[in-house]
Amino acid sequence: MLIQAVQFPRVSSQKLLVVWLVGVALLSGAGCRREAGPNGVVQAFGTTGLGWGDFSYPRAISMAAGDKFYVVDKSARIQRFDQDGKFEVGWWMPDYKSGKPVGLTVHPDGRVLVADTHYHRISIFTADGQLLETRGGEGDQPGQFRLPTDVEVAADGTIFVSEYGGNDRITHFTADWQVISTIGEVPVAGMRINRPNKIDLDAEGNIWVADSCNHRIVCFAPDGTFLTSFGELGDGAGQLRFPYDLHVCRDGTLLVAEYGNHRLQWFNREGKSLRTWGTPGRELGQLYSPWGAAEGANGLVYIVDSLNNRLQMVRP
Amino acid sequence: MSSISLTFERPEWLWLLLTLPLLVVVSWRALRSLDARLRFTALTARCLVLAVLIACAAGIEFEHTNRNLTVLFLLDRSNSIPKELYGAQEQFIREVVKTIPPEDRVGVLTFDAQSYVEQLPMRGNIFIEVLPEGLRPDRTDIAGAVRMAMALFPPDTAKRIIILSDGNNNVGDILGEVQRAKASGVGVDVVPMYYIRSKEIYAEKLVVPSLVKDGDLVPLRAILINPSNMPVKGTISLTHNSEAVPLPDELARQTLEPGQNLIALKVPVHGSKPHRFELVFRPDQESADTLPENNRATAFTFVGGGEKVLLLSLREEDDLALVRALQDEKIEVEVLNIADAEGLDLLGFMQYSSIILSNIGANWFTDEQQKQLITYVREMGGGLIMTGGDEAFGAGGWIGSPVEEIMPVDFEIKHRQVIPRGALAIVMHSCEMPRQNFSAKQIAAKAVETISSKDYFGLVSYSHMRGVIWDVPMQLATNKTMIKTAIDKMENGDMPDFGPSMEMAVTSLMQVKDAAQRHMIILSDGDASPPSQATINKMVQNKITCSTVGIGYGSHVMEPTLRQIATDTGGRFYAARNPKALPQIFVKESKVVRRPLLIEEPFMPQVYYGMSEVWTGFPLDAGLPPLNGMVLTSPKTDPLVEMPLVRKTSEGNDPVLAHWRVGLGKTVAFTSGYWSHWGGNWTQWSGYSKFWAQLVRWSMSEGKRGNYDVTTRLDGNVGRIIVNALDADSNYLNFLHLQAAVAQSDSGEIKQIKLTQVGPGQYEGQFDVNSTGQYVANISVVENGAASSVAHTGLAVPYSPEYKELAANDALLQEIVDTAEGKLWDVGDFQTAQIFRHDLPETRSRQPVWEWVLAWVLLPLFLIDVAVRRLASMVALSIFIEVLLFVVLLFGLGVVYRMGWSAVWGTLLVIAFCELVGWSIRFRSIRPALEFFTSSVVALRGAGHTSAGSLQQLKGTRERVRDERTGEGEVRLDPLEARKVKPLTPTENADSGVRFDVGDEAAQQQAGDLRSALGGAATDDTPTPKKFVRQPEQKPDEMGVESPMERLRRARQRARDQMDDQEGDKKQ
Repeated sequence: MLIQAVQFPRVSSQKLLVVWLVGVALLSGAGCRREAGPNGVVQAFGTTGLGWGDFSYPRAISMAAGDKFYVVDKSARIQRFDQDGKFEVGWWMPDYKSGKPVGLTVHPDGRVLVADTHYHRISIFTADGQLLETRGGEGDQPGQFRLPTDVEVAADGTIFVSEYGGNDRITHFTADWQVISTIGEVPVAGMRINRPNKIDLDAEGNIWVADSCNHRIVCFAPDGTFLTSFGELGDGAGQLRFPYDLHVCRDGTLLVAEYGNHRLQWFNREGKSLRTWGTPGRELGQLYSPWGAAEGANGLVYIVDSLNNRLQMVRP
Repeated sequence: MSSISLTFERPEWLWLLLTLPLLVVVSWRALRSLDARLRFTALTARCLVLAVLIACAAGIEFEHTNRNLTVLFLLDRSNSIPKELYGAQEQFIREVVKTIPPEDRVGVLTFDAQSYVEQLPMRGNIFIEVLPEGLRPDRTDIAGAVRMAMALFPPDTAKRIIILSDGNNNVGDILGEVQRAKASGVGVDVVPMYYIRSKEIYAEKLVVPSLVKDGDLVPLRAILINPSNMPVKGTISLTHNSEAVPLPDELARQTLEPGQNLIALKVPVHGSKPHRFELVFRPDQESADTLPENNRATAFTFVGGGEKVLLLSLREEDDLALVRALQDEKIEVEVLNIADAEGLDLLGFMQYSSIILSNIGANWFTDEQQKQLITYVREMGGGLIMTGGDEAFGAGGWIGSPVEEIMPVDFEIKHRQVIPRGALAIVMHSCEMPRQNFSAKQIAAKAVETISSKDYFGLVSYSHMRGVIWDVPMQLATNKTMIKTAIDKMENGDMPDFGPSMEMAVTSLMQVKDAAQRHMIILSDGDASPPSQATINKMVQNKITCSTVGIGYGSHVMEPTLRQIATDTGGRFYAARNPKALPQIFVKESKVVRRPLLIEEPFMPQVYYGMSEVWTGFPLDAGLPPLNGMVLTSPKTDPLVEMPLVRKTSEGNDPVLAHWRVGLGKTVAFTSGYWSHWGGNWTQWSGYSKFWAQLVRWSMSEGKRGNYDVTTRLDGNVGRIIVNALDADSNYLNFLHLQAAVAQSDSGEIKQIKLTQVGPGQYEGQFDVNSTGQYVANISVVENGAASSVAHTGLAVPYSPEYKELAANDALLQEIVDTAEGKLWDVGDFQTAQIFRHDLPETRSRQPVWEWVLAWVLLPLFLIDVAVRRLASMVALSIFIEVLLFVVLLFGLGVVYRMGWSAVWGTLLVIAFCELVGWSIRFRSIRPALEFFTSSVVALRGAGHTSAGSLQQLKGTRERVRDERTGEGEVRLDPLEARKVKPLTPTENADSGVRFDVGDEAAQQQAGDLRSALGGAATDDTPTPKKFVRQPEQKPDEMGVESPMERLRRARQRARDQMDDQEGDKKQ
């Protein structure tokens, strides 16, 4: 019996090696079929289409309580999903012949505020899509808009709206839509803001602006004073190409979605690039002209992978 | 709702499986050296290898059986369907798709004479947007829509077509198409769109003779139908060439009795050909009529004799001298400013014997009009004279146009080495609107065609992947086909701002050093941000003009941005609300870079070919008055082209006057101008009037000969031409070779038909009538291979046959349902309509899997077969199988390619499964090892010293033996000799533990001691190692010398000998 046990390594050590080599070769050979791994992708959902749960060029995302989230796409539909990406409710914008919305945000009280871009107004819905009211209208006067891109609600209930159709600026409203001030109408750091595609507010109430066509991020104090700006055109770390979305994460870092560089980039408040995520492409873990990104309370990042017509849920 | 099974493409190959027993018999003998278990395993693997190989040869494939359904709705949107029913159609779909099962798909097509995909088949309850109007609602082609639907169905589902139509089909064979659909397993249901137009008046036809004489009273006969049973009172109005003809009250006021009503009128005609008539009936009470569209009847006739010339003029004051000159020579001229000539069509052209384009750019003509102009010349025998000025020929955007083909000169310059160049950059921002990208590409291609091959062209767009890119890098437009191919590949992404793309275009325009003109065109249908002031300034400094075109109105064009760019750079802004106007805008804009084709300096025209018909009577060498400018062209290299006048230069002859015959007509190019700016001296020339009169007369269409009586008739969708041919003495003309070119007046589409003789002197031909409008035919007789025009005729189709339908064609719809064995649903009753019933045959789709089987089943099995024999150890084999299984499951079945957690769980499951299989194989072999471990712990405790001592002794023995062997150095030098050395005595209980087989009695003893000391199992318990382990007959040193293969071979031989012996014994 002892001999039997001891014999095993004696007889087969060479052959075991061969067996393992064959195994490893097969494993690596088979592994070559796919390139980079999923890159931290927890889940991807949505296919191209007009069915509920499908996307047709999704363009903005906003997180709601319980890590539910709303997505607006270029079919002019708002869809709500639960935290696992399961479709819950959806509706079409009342008008969309002239164009489709590019921004939305969820009010702390659950209402959904949609930047109805090509109708130059903010449309306000209940959580289930009942239209409550619309605000604004086309024009250059304070309180009017040209192509509003995004709307944000501050902790004190005041509202910020960004627009870009010629009078690129941010308007600050009280909770009942009285104009408090307009921000960004004069050049800051040498340039007037050009297509502020997204705005977000940090814990101190500072306004962070994705100054997309200037390829930079701009920050204003709540009273509109210019604080800082960073970023320049390019695809290196710290450089940006059409930052279309930005999101202030819970740890205070800034998450930027770059439409032109097909990636996410994290910055600290001083503008230092912390890291990037994503390469151009159609595989999982790759992005194709992302319009948006948001961080959930669960720490996952939800990316609006626009031209891939999907959302990717990533643990970065 | 789907299942998968295995099938074979060539099942006859499976007969080869009968060879399996043979394999078993042969292998059983060959594998006898293995023990029973391994022998069985190897044999099984081997049989499986063969079986799988045969399966692959038989074409093994997966068969998916799919029970999902795809439903395509076909919505009839032809004119016969009252618009009020559109809503009902859409509501029907919207309601029934609410009941759609989750895996089923639904798609929507609309159709008239064409089919339009509105919604590709998609899963789920779709939303139907308001459907756009069709392009050809004047006909209904249900068969075409069914064909399109068949092409749209996804392959792996059951298919059903739902036709929502009134059944008034007038194109195609719908029943045949339904039969084909049924044969392909496609279900067809019908939702009839019922309506009845009880109160309706329509004009059946208006009849006029096809040829009349000038000054005749033309008899007109109109047939009006009143299908109701009540007389209807109303008023008749008649227009003659768009002018109202005053009718006396007794004729104008008519009461239409039920049934057919004939109304006869007579109208005098004067002047040249042709004359159009339109008769309209308006009932006094609007309620008496449903469709006003079908109350019109039109007809036209040609007048023999009389010739008139049309002069299309850009600035009338420039043409006064010419008009006077022609009038002096008794040529009737009609001058029309090009701005008023918008509606000119083929029939309009045909009123004239010749047309003069005086300094007219191509942008004034639509593509259709250009085609009609060509038809007018080539098929109808008209004349065309193009004269210069800075807006004509190549400088007028005519390069690449179809008209260039019929002119005697090419508008590109081929015979000169050095010409000034233009550079055009297009910035394309067009992606926001559906179908916009397609037209954007067409427009860009049009611009490329229009510029000269000596010009530079570049096109910038935004690519999502690569940012702002040159789809066509700035280059000479020499290879226009290649450039157009590159344009076709343009992806046209959503450009965020104009700045970078304009910057890029400006840079490259500035790099083109030899360009005399630099121009940029921006096409945008969206909301890109404006460029910086620096970019605009740079353009202004470098004299780069930029025109902007806003397209896709109804959406969100940033008009202020575009307008600003154009104003700042000295370009023009176009609000292209009508996409059809776009090509003309581009032709006009690309003309900007064609300025270099103009030569604006005085020169003396020289006679080059004095024998030309148009130069007859003019001196061949006498000095002609100088001209002050011209447009550069090059003569066509065709022997028919005659070039009476040229401008001689060191680089060759630039054509000044050239002419030729093309088809039945003639064209003339006068590349200079008679306008005062260029040709001021010529108007003073004594031969001026005579020259132009001779030129124009030459170009005019030739007179008709013989006596041809032509009539036309419309029979449903077929137009007929009947010709009665008589000679001057009224004898029948037989055996003529007659042909007709039939042109659709609006589209310029040409059909060539042959007229066949059907009686004495009578000939007939027919053509398809598939759209409303006028059909003009030029009948020519072919003699000795040359055709000459003999008569004109025409046919007017005033309104679509759709407007003659008074009710749904219930019978046809019922026949469709019967043919397809489908069902008929009521459009209002969507609750009961079982559109998504699953009663159609399941679809089966097959997928060959032999490659996969080869890679992931055959190869592993083969490896196992080999491994069984090579490894000869159950433990090793089990590990091998485990690894193989692991690889096959993970990668062959693609478990690792799943997403998220399912990949992790799948991998864990696979590992668990592989371990289970591995351990179940090696369990029997491993049990002794387990026992060894458990018992050894106990034994070691008591026998530590003994075993240590024994080991020491054992080592000593080995050392001693080694020393002895080393002494025999000469033996080791020769392996062959070494083999002759008598092997050490093999041990009786030898096993594969060769390490201990020192062939020494004492060592053997020690080994036995050690074994007992460690409490190992008795030798008898071991699972017969003798049988599958090589007998150690040689000394270890020898083994080191001998190759393993050699050893193996000898061991096998020995085993076989032994077995033979045993079998021999048994037999005995």
